[in-house]
Amino acid sequence: MEVLSLKLVEMRGITKVYPDGVVALRGVDFEASEGEIHGLLGENGAGKTTLMRILYGEIKQTSGEIIFSGRAVSFKGPWDSMRSGISMVYQRFSLVPTMSVLENFYLYLSSFQRVGIEEVKRRAEDVMERLKFRVPLEANVEDLPVGVQQRVEIIKVLLSRPKLIIFDEPTSVLTPIESRELFRILKELREEGIAIIFITHKLREVKEITDRVTILRKGERVGTYETPSVSEEELAIMMVGRGIVPAKRSVSSPGGEVMRVEDLWVRDDRGLHAVKGVSFELHEGEIFGIAGVQGNGQLELAEALAGMRRVERGRILLDGRDITDLPAEARYREGLAYIPDSRAVGLVLEMNLMENSILTSLRSFLGRGGRIIWPRASGRAGEIIERFNIVGSVRSQVKYLSGGNQQRLLVGREIIKAPKVLIVSEPTQGLDVAATEFIRSTLLKFREEGRSIILISSDLDEIFELCDRIAVIYEGKFVGIERSENLTLERLGLLMGGVNA
Amino acid sequence: MRRIILEVSLSIIMSFFIGYIMLILMGYDANIVFSIVIREGLSNPTYLMIRSTPLILTALAFSIPSLVGVFNIGGEGQFYLGALASLLIAYVTGNPLLSMLIGMAAGGLLSALIALIKVKRGVNEVVTSIMFNWMIYFSLLYLISTYLFDPLMPYQSVSVPKAARIDYLRIQSLSIPIIFPIAVLTSLAMYFLIYHSALGYRMRVVGISPRTARYAGFNPESSIIVSMIIGGAMSGLGGSLLILGHTHAIDSTMSGLYGMGFAGIGAGLLGRNNPIGIILSSIFLSMLLIGGEAAELRARVPTELADALIGMIVIVLSVPYLVRILRVRR
Repeated sequence: MEVLSLKLVEMRGITKVYPDGVVALRGVDFEASEGEIHGLLGENGAGKTTLMRILYGEIKQTSGEIIFSGRAVSFKGPWDSMRSGISMVYQRFSLVPTMSVLENFYLYLSSFQRVGIEEVKRRAEDVMERLKFRVPLEANVEDLPVGVQQRVEIIKVLLSRPKLIIFDEPTSVLTPIESRELFRILKELREEGIAIIFITHKLREVKEITDRVTILRKGERVGTYETPSVSEEELAIMMVGRGIVPAKRSVSSPGGEVMRVEDLWVRDDRGLHAVKGVSFELHEGEIFGIAGVQGNGQLELAEALAGMRRVERGRILLDGRDITDLPAEARYREGLAYIPDSRAVGLVLEMNLMENSILTSLRSFLGRGGRIIWPRASGRAGEIIERFNIVGSVRSQVKYLSGGNQQRLLVGREIIKAPKVLIVSEPTQGLDVAATEFIRSTLLKFREEGRSIILISSDLDEIFELCDRIAVIYEGKFVGIERSENLTLERLGLLMGGVNA
Repeated sequence: MRRIILEVSLSIIMSFFIGYIMLILMGYDANIVFSIVIREGLSNPTYLMIRSTPLILTALAFSIPSLVGVFNIGGEGQFYLGALASLLIAYVTGNPLLSMLIGMAAGGLLSALIALIKVKRGVNEVVTSIMFNWMIYFSLLYLISTYLFDPLMPYQSVSVPKAARIDYLRIQSLSIPIIFPIAVLTSLAMYFLIYHSALGYRMRVVGISPRTARYAGFNPESSIIVSMIIGGAMSGLGGSLLILGHTHAIDSTMSGLYGMGFAGIGAGLLGRNNPIGIILSSIFLSMLLIGGEAAELRARVPTELADALIGMIVIVLSVPYLVRILRVRR
């Protein structure tokens, strides 16, 4: 029997509908064999992580079956799948930072096996011997560099002698040298006959490390291929999908410069550089698009521009004035507005529409002694409701509004302030067609009035439909700024996948 | 609003029902006990108002930080400190207003310290609150029995001089302890602060969603500190009013002060962290406490009856929270 061709896991017709009605997966087939590295490629929201969480037993599929080692299985939870030999290495490590490496190993293994600490230590020594690298067992996890923490995580899952390991975007936290070392380890594991599923959105990594690749797009499987048989360009097209976008924009006639960003460096919550030397300028009457797969520094860039996150290096100029050190509230008064990608951040869901409509301009609703003039707030709320066709009243609790109405409120509240520059992030994510159309035409109208927008979006249709100029952000850097007429979808897909061809 | 009233009244009815069954199982005549509790609880309005006064303020001490997402169970210690500071100032100066202000400042200072340790060092406020509660309890006990006792009545501290005592207001046959309207007006002022001022708006946004607050340009940490200072000041004022308007001294076992801060947590929860609700819940709980004490004397039910009923109300009240948390998890 040929060992390499043995199917270890097979998922058939997996469909997942979340309780809120979102369909994450539609009848996806997937398989992985012993001794192969199988890439799982797709954009954000394509369903990669959902599919793997189902395999790992973390969530249950709505329909479809899973066959593991020739048997139909239905895991009750991760501990159940771990016992059967499936492990997962998360993007965010599941280690206890204040405990030692050995203690973390013990904690993990003893959660589903009966072992003593001596046995754990012996197994860890074994694994390190085999893979030819070492981690200090007595050191506290938080004192180790990220790359070493990942090795700890890998050794940890190997202790349970898994047959299949899922890696969720493992290189996203690593330096290039650490990535190379990771790839060496993965190949080593493949030699031992372990099946590896490698979740990623980076085309180059797919080509470099995987044997086969399955591409997902919008919850559906596009196909599974032998990696050498497909080019990066073909992968890019399959990942982003083809679709001809109607251009509704009028020809742009941008005016003078309103904003300038110079060599901006920003760290993320973990203290790593998320934005690495971004520069651009923005003109009156222009929509400047920032495209990219989510998690490439967009959030940190947007928050730094809005004043919610400290800028480590670089400058932000608004109308020639340096606003780099101004806090958010002061920037809003200077004519900047920000619509975050999450409605749970941009709105206070537990408050009513009136209370929400003054959130980012509280000062203009205050009377003497810091008293809020509620009638004035109510007037503003009424205005937003009317102008942006919101189904709801001034007193409606925002959490009971539909997603589309919440987004209209959020966008409306910022636009009604008539800011000079509007930073807007993923404005139509999760919205139905009608709401999407409304938001997009609202943004275009705003541009027609001579105002400027920075649009951050991972939706390429949206980027092409709205933007005059497009920058692609990849690993915290702009990998190209061009006028949108000069870009093709294919090229944009390649740039987003980190291939600068 | 309607849902809140429904939840609150349902929890009161349910806990009464459970208490009723318990009494029967223990062999008491539940009807008589309950009629004693309610009749006696309401028989003396002046005493009811006196009992409600510190409760309203310690409830605010819990609820205002709670709106910002901080769990201030240090109301107890802040209450003691307010009482002590107030007593000393009244004793020395004979000025009730100054004494009240210093009592508030003392409570506020203590809670500010708890908030600072939380914000700057990340230490959970519950842990520090409990530690401070006991530190202050035992320090006070020591001070009163060693230095501050009254030579003529060594079982209690020196007394508030006549000039500094807060008197009663007599309207026909009813005498109203002035400390009660002070507490009610303070509570109304807090209502205004929370729902009609920028400060309160920021605090509520921070409490619901710190990320949204940061987005709006509010500083969550300063809201936490401000809410704790206000809360501590409320508790301090509660201690102050009790001393100035009713006990006029602290007994050397501190039985007159003990438990007020904790009872405030129940009153705050029952009042759903709303200052107006808190006025009502404090009066209601005080009625239960007074009635429970009377029932102990008359029907020989255990003292713990009122405590058990209040505890039950709090538990039943927290059920909707629990259901919501479980529903979110899934």
